[in-house]
Amino acid sequence: MLAAALSASLFGLAASGSEPSVDAKAKVSYENDVRPILKAACFQCHGDRPEVEAGLDLRQRRRILSGGESGPAIVPGRHEQSLLYRRVHSGEMPPEDAQLTPQQIRTIADWIRSGAPTLRPEPPELDPEGFTTSERDFWSLRPVERPPLPHVAAAHRVRTPIDTFVLARLEAQKRSLSADAAAEVLIRRVYFDLIGLPPPPQAVEAFVSDQSATAYEQLIERLLASPHYGERWGRHWLDVAGYADSEGYTDADPVRNSAFRYRDYVIRSWNADLPFDRFLHEQLAGDEMLPPPYTNLQPDQIARLTATGFLRMAPDGTGANGVDEHLASNRVMSETIKIVSTAVLGLTVGCAECHNHRYDPITQADYYRMRAIFEPAYDWKRWRSKAQRQVSLYTDADRQQSAVIESEAKKVDALRAKQAATFISQTLEKQLLSVPEPMRDALRTAYQTASGKRSSEQKALLDRFPKILKISEGSLYLYDREIRVEADKIDSQRKQKQREFVQRAVTAQIAALPEDVRAAVRAAADKPAAQRDAQQKQLLARFPGIPATAETLATVDPAGAAELQRLQQAAADLRKTQKADRLKALQQQAADIRKTKKPEGFVRALTEVPGQIPETFLFERGDHEQPRQELAPAGLSILSHLTLDAIPANDPSLSTSGRRLSFARRLTDSRHPLTARVLVNRLWTHHFGRGIVDTPGDFGGLGSRPTHPQLLDWLAAELVGGGWSVKRIQRLILLSSTYRQSSARPSQPTDNDFDNRLLGRMSVRRLEAETLRDSLLSVTGQLNPKLYGPPVPVMEDAVGQIIIGEENLDGERKPGAVIPLHGEQYRRSVYVQVRRSRPLGVLATFDAPEMSPNCTQRNFSTVAPQALLMMNSRFALDHASVLAQRVAAKAPQDLQQQARHGWRLCFAQEPSTAQSRAAVEFLQQQRAHFEQNPIADKKTTPASAALASYCHALVSSNRFLYID
Amino acid sequence: MDIATQPPLNRRRFLASHGLGLGSVALAWMLKQDALLAEPIRPELKKLTFDLLPRPTHRAPRADAMISLFMQGGPSHLDLFDPKPQMAKFDGKNFPEKIKYDNAAQASPKVLHSPWKFHPRGECGTQISELLPHISGVADDLTLIRSMHTGVNNHGQSIYAMNTGRVLPGRPTLGSWLTYGLGCESNELPAYVAMTDPKGLPVIGVNNWSNGWLPSLYQGTVIRPKSPRILNLNAPQHLAGQAQTNFLDYLKRMNREHLGQRPGELDLEARIASYELAARMQSAAGDALDVSRETRATHRLYGLDDPQTQEYGTRCLIARRLVERGVRFVQLFTKNQYWDHHGSIRSALPAACLKTDKGSAALIIDLKQRGMLDRTVVHWGGEMGRLPVIQNDSGPAKIGRDHNTYGFSMWMAGGGFRAGLAYGATDDFGHRAVENVVNHYDYHATLLRLFGLDPHKLVYARNGQQQSLLDGQPGRVVGDLLEST
Repeated sequence: MLAAALSASLFGLAASGSEPSVDAKAKVSYENDVRPILKAACFQCHGDRPEVEAGLDLRQRRRILSGGESGPAIVPGRHEQSLLYRRVHSGEMPPEDAQLTPQQIRTIADWIRSGAPTLRPEPPELDPEGFTTSERDFWSLRPVERPPLPHVAAAHRVRTPIDTFVLARLEAQKRSLSADAAAEVLIRRVYFDLIGLPPPPQAVEAFVSDQSATAYEQLIERLLASPHYGERWGRHWLDVAGYADSEGYTDADPVRNSAFRYRDYVIRSWNADLPFDRFLHEQLAGDEMLPPPYTNLQPDQIARLTATGFLRMAPDGTGANGVDEHLASNRVMSETIKIVSTAVLGLTVGCAECHNHRYDPITQADYYRMRAIFEPAYDWKRWRSKAQRQVSLYTDADRQQSAVIESEAKKVDALRAKQAATFISQTLEKQLLSVPEPMRDALRTAYQTASGKRSSEQKALLDRFPKILKISEGSLYLYDREIRVEADKIDSQRKQKQREFVQRAVTAQIAALPEDVRAAVRAAADKPAAQRDAQQKQLLARFPGIPATAETLATVDPAGAAELQRLQQAAADLRKTQKADRLKALQQQAADIRKTKKPEGFVRALTEVPGQIPETFLFERGDHEQPRQELAPAGLSILSHLTLDAIPANDPSLSTSGRRLSFARRLTDSRHPLTARVLVNRLWTHHFGRGIVDTPGDFGGLGSRPTHPQLLDWLAAELVGGGWSVKRIQRLILLSSTYRQSSARPSQPTDNDFDNRLLGRMSVRRLEAETLRDSLLSVTGQLNPKLYGPPVPVMEDAVGQIIIGEENLDGERKPGAVIPLHGEQYRRSVYVQVRRSRPLGVLATFDAPEMSPNCTQRNFSTVAPQALLMMNSRFALDHASVLAQRVAAKAPQDLQQQARHGWRLCFAQEPSTAQSRAAVEFLQQQRAHFEQNPIADKKTTPASAALASYCHALVSSNRFLYID
Repeated sequence: MDIATQPPLNRRRFLASHGLGLGSVALAWMLKQDALLAEPIRPELKKLTFDLLPRPTHRAPRADAMISLFMQGGPSHLDLFDPKPQMAKFDGKNFPEKIKYDNAAQASPKVLHSPWKFHPRGECGTQISELLPHISGVADDLTLIRSMHTGVNNHGQSIYAMNTGRVLPGRPTLGSWLTYGLGCESNELPAYVAMTDPKGLPVIGVNNWSNGWLPSLYQGTVIRPKSPRILNLNAPQHLAGQAQTNFLDYLKRMNREHLGQRPGELDLEARIASYELAARMQSAAGDALDVSRETRATHRLYGLDDPQTQEYGTRCLIARRLVERGVRFVQLFTKNQYWDHHGSIRSALPAACLKTDKGSAALIIDLKQRGMLDRTVVHWGGEMGRLPVIQNDSGPAKIGRDHNTYGFSMWMAGGGFRAGLAYGATDDFGHRAVENVVNHYDYHATLLRLFGLDPHKLVYARNGQQQSLLDGQPGRVVGDLLEST
């Protein structure tokens, strides 16, 4: 062992002496190849902490060479004699299951074998934050530089500068852009891209036949100005913000009643093309942009406070039953930091909560400095409840007006209370009548004594007479029942008497007739009028007034009639003494008055308590119970050389700390390398199906590198230079030849870009979950275009599927009657409640994201459950039937017209002759089938079932589900 | 293994192993594309598509499938699997230690010694309660763990711990991770199936089979207790049969014609294939669910001839039929809080045992006689056990036991678990696991190992982070629980 160590160090000396360790052209270098492996797997114990394990610090070649307690860790040139290699090769290090891959071990071996070179001389001292030059020089952290436009051969294809960047890369591969897509393809593409809905056939027709040079530009302008644009693009932002209408965290998943205002704020902001810097400032610090207290708010002030809902979107379990409050509140903060950093910075700062980031130059201290920016608003040790955090939208005038209305309502309440007291005393007296006389006074006194003050004798007495004990305002309806029973008794008495009196009168009438007709008249009279034959009718006609009836009784037997009248009146009078309904009417009256109050709305906002600025500590391993050094708010230290404005601990010019406002302004400083790049990349992602950087939420080491770095920088510079107008950037994209290309793949032999990284064509894309549902609503003509407002509710149905609907369960959780939604069920998906525990079935099946805490990039799966849903679900079949009705209304008889109309509605194009023929054949085939196999439901004819089947095929097809 | 980063391999397998109608031209393109990717060009772009094709594991797997009999509510380990004869002398007396009650209103410090008898079973001699005669009969095949621990005394949280690895909602379930990591041997049946009770869903409802943030592909498919057994599996009557065949034929014609104009668009191909798969699923699932094809002896084995055991036995039998056909993970649930015996434990616990005992044991016997037990993990257990003291001290008929997640029992069988083993121990009162404690994450790490998956390598990239089932918890593979290889 000793010998081995000795010889190793001898070799070490020899090797390091004979070979230069700096080699700018090294194939395998410390900086590029070895350090990333060691940083991810080893630095935590061998570098990052002040006390390195076994005295070995791996953060520099120099330190590795000087080694630790077991001697030098490498022998340059001899990997099998190097302790570093031997330890990782044997699996001894890293400890436990976190082993290196064979590839990583090979890289270390190669590096040692080639003399363990570095690219640059190592500084004698480590960078204070431990960053290396290559980390500082990482592509996404370099300032944005507006590149010159490249020269391209196909200059005639250049419509916007974007095309020069794309063409330059294509031409380097001896390729070019594809031809423009056909007009009907293009209009469908931009409709889905900009408003998320299919173009109606008339719009397609008009666009295709419009020969003017600016037809396309006008189309773009119309769509950018549509209120549906904000619904579509707002939804993209809601993904990264992690928008949800419920709190998550616990199983109860309580609903957030005012979250929707943030959703509406986002939609409105995109519609208005609110400059993105402003949009960010408001979301991160809207509260700091107006002075507290937040009362008597103007619309723009409401908007700013609503915007801070962005920072209230993370799952929030605080205040829930059985939750560790400190853990939950700290969790809200860490989830929020994840959201903010992936959404805006495109960095996974959240990974540095427990230790330095394994892959990116973000230290644990950086994480807590960022946390300090948000600390005053969250203040976990003095956590404010959700109710305390909400901001009322009532103005003083609203409050005053509401107080006036309340006092009116109180008057009715008082009236009702008085009435109730009277009723109770009446009921009491009435009930006392059925009690033996001598006990009545004692009972009355006992009843009227407040229940807490009754003597035990009084209690015992009342217990013997529960019917007296139980009299209360709430139980009066039970005593009313006695009244009704009594009144009903009188009614039946009256009916009995009526029958007797009529019978008696008829007998008297007949007795007065000549003897020879008596029997015949009696027989006729005994039959109900409707059953008498012609002869009997003739007979009776001879004797007007015979037989007497209840109606004519008064003329035959006035005394009897009067008695009946008296009984009727008695029952009516008795019924009038029913009490509960009268109290209920008064209660309703008070409620109606209260309804005239303006409803008090609330904003789910993030605010600070002026003057309260808590300290922020670094938490050992992210554990809030292990605070270490205190840290001041600051941006990422890797960006410190950019000399962005410092974040103040407490801005004296504001009543809040000013930390978030300053942070927001830093982010939109033109020198900030990330914010603009991340945003334009998101825009690009949603227009092309893939970003220039394919990991929109991660511009760090584990993320993708840009396919067109210069284009990304050019767009970022344009965004900032153009006042952060998003629609301006979108115009540049939409008007480019790159965007307008056909999606057809080039002929096979020349296609070496299967995944279309070079953008030599448009990519075919699948509709997102929401777009699919919205398209179905649109083509069936059911879409309710209502904008904004509280969400459309979701519920669990009897079989556990989540569907749209208002839950109506009884005490045993059995479903009650369906509550009508009045067309709300046909609203766009962006308005459907996002309850974390209840994702709407159809949206979840088609990959709508789970918000935990947010989603920076969606999945697109292609699986059998989607096919089954389209084939067999009520959802799909109902939509197919409605579409069929719409088609049939337009073309009731003509199969060819039906085929064409359905096709145009669903696909925004005319069917070809062959397509039309195939459709008609299918309609005929299904019709014949349903004629031979009749459907039980009488409303469905073979023709209508066949048409529904055709429509079902249309909406299930790829032509419907994909965009060219 | 980050599946998202391996599209070329997946695609080639997609083409080669399933032959779902992709042409040879497409294959040539694909191979070419792979060659392109092999060049060291940056950036390496990911394509986020997922499938359920069988995947290579990190090491040789010992198990291929799993059936979990989830006993929701917390079966009383003290009355079923963990005898404490020492407790007899404390019966009715005050519990001598500190105890945490969940239900303070009904709490009582009085010790409740199990009113049921335990006997040594099989050759292994493991003590099991008289309430479970059938499970006792297969004791030699079981690995009984008497030292389970999740430490969160709440049904919801503890279920999340057992089924998703963490106590919070929103994460993928065990079944989702297994199907994400392994794919599925069947191309006609869902990879992951959840079977619910006729009396309703367990606590946390549909979250028991949620894919969390994994792609929706990895969500459990629910097999319902009554018809329709699988939602959306079959068309309504008037559209089933020939009408649907016509419909699918026309749809395919339309899609093929559409694809003809867009050659090489694999997503379009895949969607056409997904409809074909869906149609195959309709008949395959119908067949798998039809237990009338089993012999009378099998029916008797699972208790299908007895109204008291018929329902649960049928589900156990269907579970076997599913696994036999290549389904990867099946989980059976009891109704909401079926084992949550806060009160009336003397009558409710025997009833719960009666319902489930025979079917559970039959599954072991049946899998074994078919030679499937070696490769199929069976799990029997809930999210907690019960406290050694009385809850609701209002007469022998009404007493029960409160929650206990500090120490409880469950058993495993097959798939590499060591048969005839009783592992770990609780203290003298069955209150806390004290010996060889198995946390939920240890259980998960051990399970993944049997399936050939490395708990640290089975990851999913999301929002820039590598997510895993253990989520950074110190899960250890409990080697003692496994048969030596």
